[in-house]
Amino acid sequence: MNIENTKAQMKKGVLEFCILSVLSSGDHYPSEIIGKMKEAKLIVVEGTLYPLLMRLKNDGLLSYRWEESASGPPRKYYKLTALGKQFLKELEITWNELADAVNKTIQKNK
Amino acid sequence: MNRTITMNLNGIIFHIEEDAYDNLNKYLSTIKGYFKNSEGCDEIMNDIEARIAEMLQGKVSNAKQAVLMADVESVIAVMGKPEDFAGEGAGADNSENGSGPIGGNRNSYGDNKRRRVFRDPDDKILGGLCSGAAKYFDIDPVWFRLAFALSFFLFGTGLFLYIILCIIIPKAKTTAEKLEMHGEKVDINNIGKVVNEEFDDLKKRMKDFGNEVKSPENKERLKSTIQNAGNFLGDILQNIIKAVGKVTAFFLVFIGIALAAGLLATLFGRGTISVFGSQGSPIHFSLYEFAAAVLPSDLPIEFAVIGLILFIGIPVSLMIYGGIKYLFGIRQKNKIVKYAANILWLGGLTLLIYVGVETGSDFSEEAVTKQTIEIAPQAGTTLYLDLKPAVEDCLDLTYAHHRKIRFGDWTMLSKDENKFRLGYPNLNIVQSETGSFELVVVKSAQGYDKKEAAARAKNISYNITQSDSTILFNSYFDIGNADKLRAQDVKLILKVPVNKTLFLTRRMEKIIFDVDNVNDALDSDMVNRKWVMTKEGLECIDCSGLENIHNHK
Repeated sequence: MNIENTKAQMKKGVLEFCILSVLSSGDHYPSEIIGKMKEAKLIVVEGTLYPLLMRLKNDGLLSYRWEESASGPPRKYYKLTALGKQFLKELEITWNELADAVNKTIQKNK
Repeated sequence: MNRTITMNLNGIIFHIEEDAYDNLNKYLSTIKGYFKNSEGCDEIMNDIEARIAEMLQGKVSNAKQAVLMADVESVIAVMGKPEDFAGEGAGADNSENGSGPIGGNRNSYGDNKRRRVFRDPDDKILGGLCSGAAKYFDIDPVWFRLAFALSFFLFGTGLFLYIILCIIIPKAKTTAEKLEMHGEKVDINNIGKVVNEEFDDLKKRMKDFGNEVKSPENKERLKSTIQNAGNFLGDILQNIIKAVGKVTAFFLVFIGIALAAGLLATLFGRGTISVFGSQGSPIHFSLYEFAAAVLPSDLPIEFAVIGLILFIGIPVSLMIYGGIKYLFGIRQKNKIVKYAANILWLGGLTLLIYVGVETGSDFSEEAVTKQTIEIAPQAGTTLYLDLKPAVEDCLDLTYAHHRKIRFGDWTMLSKDENKFRLGYPNLNIVQSETGSFELVVVKSAQGYDKKEAAARAKNISYNITQSDSTILFNSYFDIGNADKLRAQDVKLILKVPVNKTLFLTRRMEKIIFDVDNVNDALDSDMVNRKWVMTKEGLECIDCSGLENIHNHK
């Protein structure tokens, strides 16, 4: 079993949840989302993000608008839709339960 | 000094060095290749280009205006390699199987990942073949296991197939490979679907191609489009070949499995070789019985069996091997398999040739033994000649006239644990020099040398039964099971004194062969009639008024 693969698999599962979380604090364009995710070491390569954003958008969880920027071409600002917000709420509950369960399990077995 | 190219990326103009441009271009088209089948491909590409433009913007300044190779490389490092994108796709697909709440519309790109067959090392009983295959077809592995377990008993066909499949199908080693086990289904129905998809893709490209030709804003672009036309035609051809190939591969595997089952049945089954079909039913041999009866005794049967397994089994295995590899797109090449197959096949061929030559040389000499049987004088004036058919022989009048070919026919009537019963002896009728009835039985056989052949000829047993004025000829002769089949034959010569009368029953047509008579009657016209032996030869007594019957007297 390759440890890097396992780590990558674990991260992938929560990636969408994190993107939704980042956007819950306000509208962002991709570079900002990437910045925040990188801070948290959730993303290693940026290319991963774009297909994810596209899928979340296609699923109706996100929407975007174009906004002029001072430094260059217009930017795509992503925003949570109502469905996205509801979705995030459910994911948060699940996440908390899961995190609790995992932590407890780890503690018990230590 | 390096040449630079002006490049427009997401509306921003960059001066970029030639090699850096090539690299970036290649990178973008590779990514595009990964996303080409997902919806929103263009949008994803635009976003990625925008992000790259943004990053490159940070790398140029008034002091350093050109984009260099190093810049492109660092951008690619940040964005990640195309494989990482694909890895994400596989991951997404996996979560879909967990039927997550977002599972509804996941067709973006995960499903376009082609499913691959692996042996599943995590859920295995022997090689993990069944569970891997089950994952591939999305069914419970227990069915595959059951099918294989049952087919193990079908002369080991299943075992044979299992071993071949284990060699061809790789074990899923990495996580990525394990995830690929659940990619898109490729079953028989899907071969059609895949072909359709390929043609749809082609149609789209054809449309794009048309549009590009229609809007020749840019001569450069048109030129490259024309260049693409070459590739495009190549693509059409490739797709057609692929479709034909898949269907062919499927039949190859199917026929291969059927042939393998046939081979195994021949090797281990009872009575799968049918030989010397008499008019009744053919005689069935197992391969071993047949080899024991035909092959020289100093030649091990294993030579023939192994030769046969290699000579037929290797091509059949390769058929299944190649077909499965093509059908499931397994690219892995195995040189050892290739060389081993070639050598083993040649080995099989050599063995068979050796067996053939050895067996042939066992037929090289012929020997004949003669035995005279006295016929006791009978009370009546006429000697009746009749035939005693073998129980197994469907000898009756309806069949008698079907036997037109009398020369060199050599028929096995039956066999049991002690003997082979062969047919038919040939009877000729000639004038006797001694003044009494005599039957000469001429037995012949072949062998490696005269001595061997003579011994075999002696072992042939042939009998007649005389009861007063009737002689019953056996329609068969027997040879012991210990003897090899070496063209054993029996010829009968009945010597009849002058002035003696004979009656041939209709059944005698089976064994009389080219009997000379003064009437020039054919064998079929001689039966059911009375004949008298004259000095000139046999003459018909009750043939008057019949066509085809002459009288030279």
